Amino acid sequence: MNSIYLLIPLSLLLVGVAVWAFFWAVNRGQFESLEDPAEAALEEDPLSEDADPPRQ
Amino acid sequence: MTASAARPLLEGHWTSESGGEGHAVFMAEGIHCANCARSIRRALDELPGVRRSEVNVAHGRVSVSWEPGRTDLGAILRRVAATGFRPVPLIGDAAAAAQKLERRAALKRIGLAAIGAMQLMMYAAGLWAGALQGIDPKIAEYLRWTCLLIATPVLFYSGAPILHGGLQDLRRRVLGMDVTVSLALLLAYGASAFNTMRGTGEVYFDSVAMFILFLLSGRYIEMRGRHQAASVTEALARSLPATVQRIDAVTGAVARAPLASVLEGDLLRVASGAVIPVDGSVIDGVALIDESLVTGESVPCRRGAGDALLGGSTNAGATFTMRAARRVDESTLHGLVRLLERAQGERPRLGIAAERMASWFVLRVLVLTALVGIVWLYVDPSMAMPAVLAVLVATCPCALSLATPVAIAAATARLAREGVLVVRADAVEGLATVDSVLLDKTGTLTVGRPEVTRVEVSCVEASYGEASRVEVSTGASPEPFTRHHALAIAAALERGSPHPIALAFRDHADPAIDCPDAHETAGFGLQGTVQGHVWRIGKPAFVRGLSTAVADDDLGAGVWLASDDGRSARFEIRDALRPDAADTVRALQQAGLEVRIASGDRPQTVADIAASLGLADAEGGMTPADKLARVRAAQAAGHRVLMVGDGINDGPVLAAADVSMAMGRGSPIAQAAGDLLLLRDSLAALPVAVRVARNALQRVRQNLRWAAGYNIAAIPLAALGFMPPWAAALGMSLSSLLVVFNARRSLDAGAADREHRR
Repeated sequence: MNSIYLLIPLSLLLVGVAVWAFFWAVNRGQFESLEDPAEAALEEDPLSEDADPPRQ
Repeated sequence: MTASAARPLLEGHWTSESGGEGHAVFMAEGIHCANCARSIRRALDELPGVRRSEVNVAHGRVSVSWEPGRTDLGAILRRVAATGFRPVPLIGDAAAAAQKLERRAALKRIGLAAIGAMQLMMYAAGLWAGALQGIDPKIAEYLRWTCLLIATPVLFYSGAPILHGGLQDLRRRVLGMDVTVSLALLLAYGASAFNTMRGTGEVYFDSVAMFILFLLSGRYIEMRGRHQAASVTEALARSLPATVQRIDAVTGAVARAPLASVLEGDLLRVASGAVIPVDGSVIDGVALIDESLVTGESVPCRRGAGDALLGGSTNAGATFTMRAARRVDESTLHGLVRLLERAQGERPRLGIAAERMASWFVLRVLVLTALVGIVWLYVDPSMAMPAVLAVLVATCPCALSLATPVAIAAATARLAREGVLVVRADAVEGLATVDSVLLDKTGTLTVGRPEVTRVEVSCVEASYGEASRVEVSTGASPEPFTRHHALAIAAALERGSPHPIALAFRDHADPAIDCPDAHETAGFGLQGTVQGHVWRIGKPAFVRGLSTAVADDDLGAGVWLASDDGRSARFEIRDALRPDAADTVRALQQAGLEVRIASGDRPQTVADIAASLGLADAEGGMTPADKLARVRAAQAAGHRVLMVGDGINDGPVLAAADVSMAMGRGSPIAQAAGDLLLLRDSLAALPVAVRVARNALQRVRQNLRWAAGYNIAAIPLAALGFMPPWAAALGMSLSSLLVVFNARRSLDAGAADREHRR
């Protein structure tokens, strides 16, 4: 019966974590665009010296 | 953003002085209803020196004209800021950054409200169950305090914009939706908090959170649409370069200079492929100008010394020198921008009507609530609070306010799968009610790319005296010189040419046939050696210089090819109709829509196209202003017009039409100006979109009927005390759920018929 006195603070903690995680994700721009990141993988990488290491 | 920081940006592009009048357009953050717009307008009109001010609710955009000398932009921006709205320049990173922040803040509010509402529902379920089966009072109190703990940030963080809006409304002495909503929220929260501390009575925390979540979600959908719409003018401005290459008149040195500093008479160098920055004229060289962005003319034209140039068109040929005839803010493109702005400013009558209705509704709800409270105080004071809350919650226009956005969102998702992007929130509604379609030609009905539609070859040697002309369709042709051969030679000659006609031949190139020495005679054609013979391609007069086989009475849009040994060919080059144009027009007509063509192209070409589509009503040679007038006339006659087009010249027309659709492969500006975007390079989705939109509107009407029915049924029950607030909240949630599910049906129907097609 008294388990509820433990479980409810636990649920509050969980809510806190969920809200923190969501705010973190929003601030990191995770919801800015739901299409572009998926297509970003298809784009050319900017050329760089060591992007394609020569085969030995 | 301070007014002074906004200045350089605004004065670079977006302020201008003409006819002794200053003019500026900027965004004001926080505009979300007609009342906000009215208060900004009132504040600006009171400012001495301001001649005109217009506020566009849909785009959050303010446009002001003032008398220079009596006031300045700084004063105007400060005035707007003092009214409680943050002025933001229309272009540049500041506007985008401001939008990003607004979007992020809104998302966080929704996230907190959603998580909070979920949690509160769980605790509330415990309390409800306890009320039915009996519960340890200590645990009930514990649960209530927990609810209070969660509901407080939900109300004061997530609900802040609503409370703020309600407060603003009260300050301005107007009744908006926010007033009753804030009242219901504060009353419900206050009574619940009071009961929690007292340790007895009902709590309504879950209703508070749910209510906030629903309201915020609706607003978020609305805000996203507004942000997308605001990028229109940004895109237009971006089509102009930020700097130009100015030639010093004395030394002849070329230096980069900012666009805004270009004055009348300046000499400018326009590189190949660059955009012509201002209106002007050619000084030297022969320019090949692609005006498709400004006039919609699909075939680039040649301009010699002294010929006029339009700012915003592209140099499709070699580098040349021009003289600026006007400053950038007086040039044609800028005029188009103004036209676009003005056309957009005339839109939001729908929003005003909704606002007026809400005000009417809110006033009655408040009066009714007060009456209920007073009556209950006399009859049974203990029932007064539950009854008042029940009425406020039951009349909460939740289902009413969800009815439209949810159905629209479902339709939007369905349309996106068909390749139609909804750029503005009211586009679906508009598309469902149009009864007339105005189609642009170039790039809309046609592919916007020249193609060889007919080849006639003749070989004078083979049948001397009577040149045998053979059409593509007949298939037969004299052996030594075939149509394919002619096309391949033409492709070889045109390979290096920047002229758009060359595009028509590109697909016909044959790697075995090459012309290493092709050279262009500007304005006439090309000459080169192919397989040991000299060939010319181009205008009849030019090709005749090599071979008399060329008819000199060719009036059509024919391109001639001839060799020094008597072989010749005539190509007809046309911007071909889209393969699905005829089906689309037929489907639209079957849907009961009146279909017309309005184009800036040659009247004869337009008439041919219309005839091949079986359309009686087509007009060519129209300027943007003509098209705008055409749309206005149709609207005045009671029609609701859908405009489909691309190219900036359609921008103002797209904005003035009741609803507009831009070809996604057209210019980026037209994309942004359209209410809807056809993402695929095809018209096939157009009739489908109309059907989906009509379906969605029907769903909206069903939803509104249900929501209104629920409210009408619930109000007497709530007022008479038969309905406790929790039941009112439950009923409200159920009615909202029903509305959401009903709206989703259109989405599922779409999925089903996709499955079927597979």
